[in-house]
Amino acid sequence: MIEVKNLRKSFKGLEVLRGINETIAKGEKVVVVGPSGSGKSTFLRCLNRLEEPSGGEIWFEGINICDPKCNINRLRQKMGMVFQQFNLFAHLSVKENITLAPTKLKIMTPAEADEKAMQLLNRIGLAEKANAYPSQLSGGQQQRIAIVRALAMNPDVMLFDEPTSALDPEMVGEVLDLMIQLAEEGMTMVVVTHEMGFAREVGTRVLFMDEGQILEQNTPKEFFANPQNPRTRDFLSKIL
Amino acid sequence: MHAIYQNLIAMDRWKLILEGLGNTIIIALGAIVIGTLIGAAMALMRVSGNRVLGGIARGYITVIRGIPMVTQLMIFNFIIFAPTGMPKLAIAIVSFGVNSGAYCAEIFRAGIQGVPLGQTEAGRSLGLGRAQTMWSIVIPQAVKAVLPTYTNEFVVLIKETAVASYIALMDLTKASDMIRNATFNAWVPLLSAAVIYLCLTLGLSSLFARLERRLARSDRG
Repeated sequence: MIEVKNLRKSFKGLEVLRGINETIAKGEKVVVVGPSGSGKSTFLRCLNRLEEPSGGEIWFEGINICDPKCNINRLRQKMGMVFQQFNLFAHLSVKENITLAPTKLKIMTPAEADEKAMQLLNRIGLAEKANAYPSQLSGGQQQRIAIVRALAMNPDVMLFDEPTSALDPEMVGEVLDLMIQLAEEGMTMVVVTHEMGFAREVGTRVLFMDEGQILEQNTPKEFFANPQNPRTRDFLSKIL
Repeated sequence: MHAIYQNLIAMDRWKLILEGLGNTIIIALGAIVIGTLIGAAMALMRVSGNRVLGGIARGYITVIRGIPMVTQLMIFNFIIFAPTGMPKLAIAIVSFGVNSGAYCAEIFRAGIQGVPLGQTEAGRSLGLGRAQTMWSIVIPQAVKAVLPTYTNEFVVLIKETAVASYIALMDLTKASDMIRNATFNAWVPLLSAAVIYLCLTLGLSSLFARLERRLARSDRG
């Protein structure tokens, strides 16, 4: 589904990604871990070109998204993204947050989008917040709404950029629960996170990144039980 | 009492004041419309990321903000529009509009850039294009944020129009000054003008304050 070939990214001479090769198949839940500054968020943000790669190729559903001629907006409709800071649209109600993109992009009529939004809100138990504004909600509620906002576009893959890092500890669970549900429904997911429990329980594959490269990858079981690379071992020893 | 009669009632002098006030309002309203349009265009040019457009906007803002309003007004009146025979009122509207445009541009640019980048990224990640994201997500939030400074620009503009008398245009200040010249009484005409300006600016401020409160709906926690 996603194929990354020799992906490189530099910011003003600083090489953040130094040749990433990776293939992500449909239905996989790939968890990306690594120390901060290792390039994992940049890697994720390159996948939908929020970050412009400096070199290499990224193929998504048979299209090279780094090709300047490709319609990136159309491709992004199929790649949901969830941010560390939620990024709900502050001036719109919860329901409008969800319906904005599907209606503006003429994927749904306003009535269809409304129905979809209510259905999604019901699913996460926040239907009564449909007319509330983001600033009136807790972080956990905001993040769950951000997730269903992305789901409203019926994406083929969901990208999560440290979705629980900005949350108070007691709200991490509700967000992870929703992500676990998504995983169980078969959604393809790429998750950058520090939640090792999530990586262990939900991931089908764990990638360890450091200094702009994928140093090691394995099934969660093997990855945590039997890390090969010394730096992986060092990293795991610090956080587990 | 006699002074008030002499300065405001006798010889229909209140009509002079009214005419001056009318011109002041017309200039201010016309100029804020032009200024807002120019300002919006310049602000969008500056944030467009296009070097040429950004450079043009930057140059415009630098030049206009670096020259006193009175000087600009006279340049427009005695040089640029001198051969056209355009009515003074129209010249004043354009001059003040062009001037205000530079200030509005900076206000709007600050407003647009003040909207967190994450809002844009969220919009783009959903598949919205640059323009769609700008219009549906960034600008509505920027408008709300700039309202206080924008109101201030409007208030400043109303007061600035007093220099229109430099091109012999009969605005509120000019009218009161003419009465002063005729009656040799400075108190009544000038204080009348002052009170009228104050009413205008206070009225405007409270109008915008109400609008601000309505727009603040989504901020209430």
